[in-house]
Amino acid sequence: MTVDLDQYAKPGKSYYLALGLEGSANKIGVGVIKHNLGQLSSTNSAEVLSNVRDTYVTPPGEGFLPRDTARHHRNWVVRIIKDALKVAKVSGSDLDCICFTQGPGMGAPLQSVVIAARTLSQLWDLPLVGVNHCIGHIEMGREITGAQNPVVLYVSGGNTQVIAYSRQRYRIFGETLDIAIGNCLDRFARTLKIPNIPFPGYNIEQMAKKGKHLVPLPYTVKGMDLSMSGILAHIDQLAKQMFSGKKPPVDEETGEPITAEDLCFSLQETLYSMLVEITERAMAHVQSNQVLIVGGVGSNLRLQEMMQLMVQDRKGGSIHATDERFCIDNGIMIAHAGLLSYRTGQTNELWNTVCTQRYRTDEVFVKWRDD
Amino acid sequence: MTDHIVAQAQKILPNIPLSVVSQGAEALVFQTGTHPYCSEESLIHLSNASTFIIKYRPPKPYRHPKIDKQITKSRTIAEAKFMSKLSKLSIPSPDLISIDSINGVIWMGYKGKPLANGEISSLKNWLWWLEKQDDSASLCVSDVVEKVFLNIGALIAKLHLNEMIHGDLTSSNILLEENHDGVFEAVLIDFGLSSYSGLPEDKAVDLYVLERAVLSTHSVHSEIYNEWLLKGYNDMHLSKEFKSKQGSKKLVETIKRLEDVRLRGRKRSMLG
Repeated sequence: MTVDLDQYAKPGKSYYLALGLEGSANKIGVGVIKHNLGQLSSTNSAEVLSNVRDTYVTPPGEGFLPRDTARHHRNWVVRIIKDALKVAKVSGSDLDCICFTQGPGMGAPLQSVVIAARTLSQLWDLPLVGVNHCIGHIEMGREITGAQNPVVLYVSGGNTQVIAYSRQRYRIFGETLDIAIGNCLDRFARTLKIPNIPFPGYNIEQMAKKGKHLVPLPYTVKGMDLSMSGILAHIDQLAKQMFSGKKPPVDEETGEPITAEDLCFSLQETLYSMLVEITERAMAHVQSNQVLIVGGVGSNLRLQEMMQLMVQDRKGGSIHATDERFCIDNGIMIAHAGLLSYRTGQTNELWNTVCTQRYRTDEVFVKWRDD
Repeated sequence: MTDHIVAQAQKILPNIPLSVVSQGAEALVFQTGTHPYCSEESLIHLSNASTFIIKYRPPKPYRHPKIDKQITKSRTIAEAKFMSKLSKLSIPSPDLISIDSINGVIWMGYKGKPLANGEISSLKNWLWWLEKQDDSASLCVSDVVEKVFLNIGALIAKLHLNEMIHGDLTSSNILLEENHDGVFEAVLIDFGLSSYSGLPEDKAVDLYVLERAVLSTHSVHSEIYNEWLLKGYNDMHLSKEFKSKQGSKKLVETIKRLEDVRLRGRKRSMLG
């Protein structure tokens, strides 16, 4: 990295502070990050001053609806911002910029958070920086793990993408052709009426540990892309048969009845195998040997374990993953990516802060990298 | 760290000298001088009689053994069948020599020729090499490159018109071979994800996958590359050979579907 990141530094100040607001799905997160002058490196890394989050949790069997989620965010945003500033021990006037998620995500929750961002910007007279949610995940992952130029597997409730950097853009090499991995897991959790606390994927992971029998499911990899809706329909059908008691499914080899745990186990094994496979295909294609896993599903330990096994078989391969503080949606990643943007002079005028539900990862011009 | 996989392969193929050519996503590709069942004298008429390719799909430790066994077996068989069908249709692809589906081994003829920098002559490596020689447009979008892309488009069209789907079209899975007149001819490889279908949907996804691979791997000139690919694809459908076989009707259906698939990729809801 040789991009000059200090053209826009305030005179006499040796560091930057940014506030990040995230609310693209059912989590509202606020964080404060600090960068010192100069290039970011292992000796001059970004400092997380605070990272506060609240999740809108729905009863088992229900997903989160945009309107209710937006109401949750509106109710919490002021408290969480106050909290984040308190933990970080900074006040509004110390900040350099306010960063917010501009997309992609659910419309109503995004809107409710951007209003808070605009208000703060005018209150404290600070520039606004709109951040692409996916870029936030990638940049935070790179910063925390120190991965230089990895193939990124971005897996969350609404996204499933295999991404690699080339010529100042994060380019999408593979992605889902229909639903996202987290969406697939969440919907299956609803079918099984698994609790949504702390989050459905976690509970599926715990149940899967007790699963013994592997139920054959479709395996739908299409090059570096994949499709998951057929798998969901198939396993939903099996679950219905199991609950109804009519013709309950049995294991082919032992004849033992299939349990909910077995279904969770089979779903995880099949979906994650597909994810690891497309990641490996992208690695072979772009000749890279680093993998970075980001996004909420990235906190799944079984997925991390499988990825580790894949990487071991590749020359000089290494895997980088973060824990739930940074994997699951948070404000700090928005602050970090936004601050990088700010340091290269990219800010948004007030008229240009409209959120968008669809905002492709490869639309962002990555001005802070030039390798 | 790939050494133990090479050792595994050597165990399945005792006494066969193996040297690694490349490590793909699911397979290790070796080069060898040994033919599994023909004597050297009987091979004299072949152009590449001294080199053969062995593609080995090792067990994947991350996959559940049940899934792994099933996938290795079905993909190896599918690939071998696809190759034999291609050679019947005289679509350029490696010649199938032998197959061991349980162990995931396919023995095939050698195709292509190393580039000036010693790399395999895949479309990807060739384009990267051209970019390195001269970043300006002249070399990367020359007539030679155009011809190659038109040729590839036509090749894919031929595949699709025979209701065959490659399933993993990328610039790494297309080899270039120089023929006697010095013209580059495309050779398709890697058919592990192949299938048979006459549905416009499957053909459109096949094209879309390649289009996206070109876009992300060769982004500078991707627009013109994809244009040429589609032109080659079009021309083959409207050629004398296929016009009588509903070529133009199939073309319209597939292209219309391709537009739908593109839209799906871009407009799908992206929460999270």
